[in-house]
Amino acid sequence: MAKTSVSNNVTRSNRKWIIGYSIAGLILFITYQFLIPWEGLPLGIYDAVYQWMPPSAINESLVYVIMALGLNIVVGYAGLLDLGYVAFWAIGGYCAGWFMSEFFYFLNIHFLGSVPAEAPGIHINFWMVLLIGGFVCALFGILIGAPTLRLKSDYLALVTLGFGEIIPQVFFNGENFFGFNISNGTKGIVRVDPIPVGVKDLGPFDFGWKLLIFLLLTAVMVFISLRLRRGRLGRAWLAIREDELAASMMGVPLMRTKLASYAVGAFAGGLGGVAFATHVDGVYAERFNFTISIFLLAMVVLGGMGNVWGVILGAFILSWVNGNGLTAFGQFYNDRFGTEVDFASFTFLLFGLVLILMMLFKREGLLPESRLKLMLHEDELDDEDASGSKKKVGK
Amino acid sequence: MKKNPAKVAIVALAAAAVSLTLVSSSSSAATTLYISSDLPKQGGSADQSASTNKAIRLLLKQMNNKAGKFTIKFREYDNSTAAKGSWDDAQCAKNAQAHVAARDEVAVMGTYNSGCAKIIVPILNQDPKGPMVMVSNANTNPGLTKTWGPGEPEKYYPTGKRNYFRVVTTDDNQGAAAAEYAKSLGVKKVYVLNDRQTYGQGVAQAFTTSAKKLGLTVLSDGVAGEGWDDKASNYEALFTKIKALTPDMVYVGGIFDLNGGQLVKDKVKYLGSNTAVKFMMPDGFTGYPDFLALPEAAGAYLSFTGLSIDQFPKGGVAEQFQDEYLLTYGEAPTSSFSVYGAAAAQVILDAISRSNGTRKDIFAKMATVNIPASKSVVGTALKFDKNGDIMSRDITILIVKDKTETFVKKITVK
Repeated sequence: MAKTSVSNNVTRSNRKWIIGYSIAGLILFITYQFLIPWEGLPLGIYDAVYQWMPPSAINESLVYVIMALGLNIVVGYAGLLDLGYVAFWAIGGYCAGWFMSEFFYFLNIHFLGSVPAEAPGIHINFWMVLLIGGFVCALFGILIGAPTLRLKSDYLALVTLGFGEIIPQVFFNGENFFGFNISNGTKGIVRVDPIPVGVKDLGPFDFGWKLLIFLLLTAVMVFISLRLRRGRLGRAWLAIREDELAASMMGVPLMRTKLASYAVGAFAGGLGGVAFATHVDGVYAERFNFTISIFLLAMVVLGGMGNVWGVILGAFILSWVNGNGLTAFGQFYNDRFGTEVDFASFTFLLFGLVLILMMLFKREGLLPESRLKLMLHEDELDDEDASGSKKKVGK
Repeated sequence: MKKNPAKVAIVALAAAAVSLTLVSSSSSAATTLYISSDLPKQGGSADQSASTNKAIRLLLKQMNNKAGKFTIKFREYDNSTAAKGSWDDAQCAKNAQAHVAARDEVAVMGTYNSGCAKIIVPILNQDPKGPMVMVSNANTNPGLTKTWGPGEPEKYYPTGKRNYFRVVTTDDNQGAAAAEYAKSLGVKKVYVLNDRQTYGQGVAQAFTTSAKKLGLTVLSDGVAGEGWDDKASNYEALFTKIKALTPDMVYVGGIFDLNGGQLVKDKVKYLGSNTAVKFMMPDGFTGYPDFLALPEAAGAYLSFTGLSIDQFPKGGVAEQFQDEYLLTYGEAPTSSFSVYGAAAAQVILDAISRSNGTRKDIFAKMATVNIPASKSVVGTALKFDKNGDIMSRDITILIVKDKTETFVKKITVK
């Protein structure tokens, strides 16, 4: 019985999603690139879109999706609790800050960049910085992982927590890092080079194109997640997640497999970090605090650990509620009923409430991974069986 | 048959968008314009921001929501998020886009944090229908308007038009005011220290420059004086060296958090009391109960940008505004920043009233804004220089007396 569901899950990763994903992406792109700026659009629709789902909110959500997909590989696939994922975001972000801005104003290095050749600083092409950010993060993932992954569950979580605190602190105080200014401290690195797309450089109002780029990055992460999961490495991750001891007895090299999950997860952090820097046009050390790690973790858990589509949904919903949804609802409510309720001050409350309710009634997430769901309900069944309250023929 | 969840989500989203449009449909006349505020409404600055928004609403009410021939409405933006618990860079970027996209919105009052302004200003600057004007009530970082860090301030204005203004003065003016006050105390020789960070160095540098200009002897080397090591366990060597130079005053550019307590203790220990050798620091030392509680802090001078709320001129529009605030909301404004918010709105409304209602024209009229002190809600004239900085640069000088900050003097930097 278990066999069928597992094999279902594993073979599920066909390529049909690419068609659906492309169609959805195209609709979004056309909507935001052509339909919304169109002068003939009724003002009502225009205002409503900007109130409820402005283009920059979509783009921001996609960055969160990229991060959450990376974290999902570590937490959802390999079952390693990571409380410091924001560190990879920070490293990716600063890669963009270093290699795509005037930060190193005393240098003048250009490589297919999008600014005039006389501009000071290091200006490397966005697409290359993406790769640099990804690989630097992967390297850090391995560096941090190597000594710590021997630890188990709680201890590992604590070490990742420490890592997630240390890296942002280094950037926070990085104005004098052994005599070098590596981050501009709290002032941050502002103004990052625009993204070149061949014909033009993307300005602040080219949401549609940025959306397309972020969708592409997300697609890359989805592809990586699905393919890896189906392959040898992915199955090894799942084995470790479910029973580390059994997995190692079956010949799964624990260290190497775990390190791989860290590296791949961190790679996504790098991609997202660079993308985010271009989204806000700057890097600020203050962003990278512990709550963001928790927020990303909540996205993975809420959406459905291990299920790529669930994680995407979770990330989208949470980042939307956090960034736009609640404010928009507050405005709508206050306008409608003429009240002056300050909804912003209830965000924490609602956020906590949603998490509690989810854990009470839908522990496995919005779109659960079938395998995980099976396991969670298996436990319940066993408890009931053990207490003898319910006689049900085994699953 | 499996459904593609992503597709389902998109369809649901589209449906939601369509159904929403049915709800909202209003045709606004061209004579109704929106101004907006962009402040962190969650986290540590929440009360401050709420009070600022209230002050702006009160101002609009006093003006019957009119500016010239236009009806003015007010919209609040929040640049913080719950997940971060403070201002959020992504939110700033999103708000900037929203300001530009909102077709009825003409100007922005904000931001509270200079970092957020550095994200928003370039976007508003590149508005195809603009530039769109932004007036801040609280940004004090000099780089936004003056030559400061590399590439500043030009990098915030890609089109070259200076669409950013502020009604509070910048950090570096504090140094100048402090030097002026030092001279009035009869100080001849001064030793300058800094905390080796941007803010501290900036203030110390401004102090050094002004002090030299005023004819004081600056005993320390370097443009910003000597940096103190915030990891040091004591400053015996530093102050012994300073003692040999017999200064009348020690000026500290920096913030209290960076081992300022030890520094203050050792200053008194090795150089004597603050009346013998005077001691002065900028607003990086104000508002710290730990500092005020130190016996060694007694007699130290502090400077503070802008006016604190009890120093607004009495008997004019400024006092009237505060009275009315108290009457309307049953509480006083949380701090002077919220009243400065109303002042920023006053500036915007003045420009709107003389314009034809487009963003471009409002920007053009900002250059000629001149609200006299008698009409300003903060009681000082509201007029800007070519950088967008306020002309009246008020700095408050305080002294530590009986463990509280006591008002000494208001200095207007020229």
